[in-house]
Amino acid sequence: MPPRIRLRPRAMRVLNSPSQPSLQYTYASLATATTPAAPVDQTIRSIPPILRYPPTQPPSHKPPEVRKTQLHRQYQSLLRSSPLMLIFQHNNIKAVQWMGIRRELSAALAKVDAERSAAGQETFAEEIKFQVIQTGIFASALRVVEFFHPEESTLDHVPHPTDPATPTSAKIPNTKNTPEDVRFTHGLSRRAHEAASNKKLKVELEPLLSGPLAVLTFPSVSPQHLKAALSILAPSLDFPAPKRKVIPSYHEPEVQGGLQNLMLLGARIEGKVFDQEGTRWVGGIAGGIDGLRAQLVHVLQGAGASLAGALEGASRSLYFAIEGRRMDMEEKEKGGKVE
Amino acid sequence: MITRFLTHVHLTFNPFSPRSKSARVFLSLFPSNARANGTQIQSKMLPRTSKEPASLAIKFKDGKEMKLDLDKMRITEVVEEVDRHSRTLARKEELLGN
Repeated sequence: MPPRIRLRPRAMRVLNSPSQPSLQYTYASLATATTPAAPVDQTIRSIPPILRYPPTQPPSHKPPEVRKTQLHRQYQSLLRSSPLMLIFQHNNIKAVQWMGIRRELSAALAKVDAERSAAGQETFAEEIKFQVIQTGIFASALRVVEFFHPEESTLDHVPHPTDPATPTSAKIPNTKNTPEDVRFTHGLSRRAHEAASNKKLKVELEPLLSGPLAVLTFPSVSPQHLKAALSILAPSLDFPAPKRKVIPSYHEPEVQGGLQNLMLLGARIEGKVFDQEGTRWVGGIAGGIDGLRAQLVHVLQGAGASLAGALEGASRSLYFAIEGRRMDMEEKEKGGKVE
Repeated sequence: MITRFLTHVHLTFNPFSPRSKSARVFLSLFPSNARANGTQIQSKMLPRTSKEPASLAIKFKDGKEMKLDLDKMRITEVVEEVDRHSRTLARKEELLGN
């Protein structure tokens, strides 16, 4: 061990300076010491990933603060979450008329809900919404929903929490805070925009998406609710409007004036496009999905019985053939012995 | 568009045809009280598979009838055609009334 030589004699010490206490004892051996190298651990492992944007606001292609972008996002979620959607054209309907139409619609749907809850089925009349949409933004959102299907999520690039290479167990996507990153999978990302702006792909619903539009969205395909909505909004022979004696408020001039300016154009049911007749056909399915299931069970039961009969018949005939052959051979054997 | 001189409007179109756009926009040009003010508007929607062209039949207050083939016309052209006669009616009314 080298001798400890004081670099400065006591006389040179800075007198009574509380601001620099570190200068009080300084040794030559310590003066030559270098800063320690980074730990080995740090050189072989990456730094923990940091999320560079709020988790609910990944960077978007268009400026996120404008109304258009938010409507686009909203319409995407609307399209994804409603399997049954009716598309109407509205021609200069006044606010009072809209109010009347919505009131009658919700009353009719509530009636259906009451019937369903009595039968023990699920009810969702409150979630059925009738809203005016911005046609161009809706068309664009529809293209994103139809054509942008990211197979991987942003979390696919994240190392597994149990992987010894990661210093953290939190799953944080390793995406950058710029819209250029191609790993983003949300509907407002640049990748979604590019997928949707492919002009070669055509949406079936495209000819309908022009002019003033309103959509009625159902959270589930329920022919009962559809029937009630059609009889209010687009009455026809199969779905007659309620009589004046039953619901007098439906025949108020405000409601009727609004309904005259409302036209049913078509429907989008589970991704498929239906015209007016097709929509009425879906509304006419008796008993809804349960009715269809009952019909299917009935058909399958009939088929099962006949199939069992057919299979049984084959084995029975085989049995008879073999038995006949055995009898025949036995007879021959007997006959041989007799001769 | 001047709509107060129209008494009958009969539209036929297939909403799934991209050419029927002008028919639908034409309907949206009527004010919300057009029916209350004496214009009869009837629109007939064709099924999705039909190839029938969109057509418009109009009757004016003075009895003139007009038939338009909306398939080949833009909405501005349709409005121009309809307004041409409506303007003459408006001028006549102005000269007689005041």
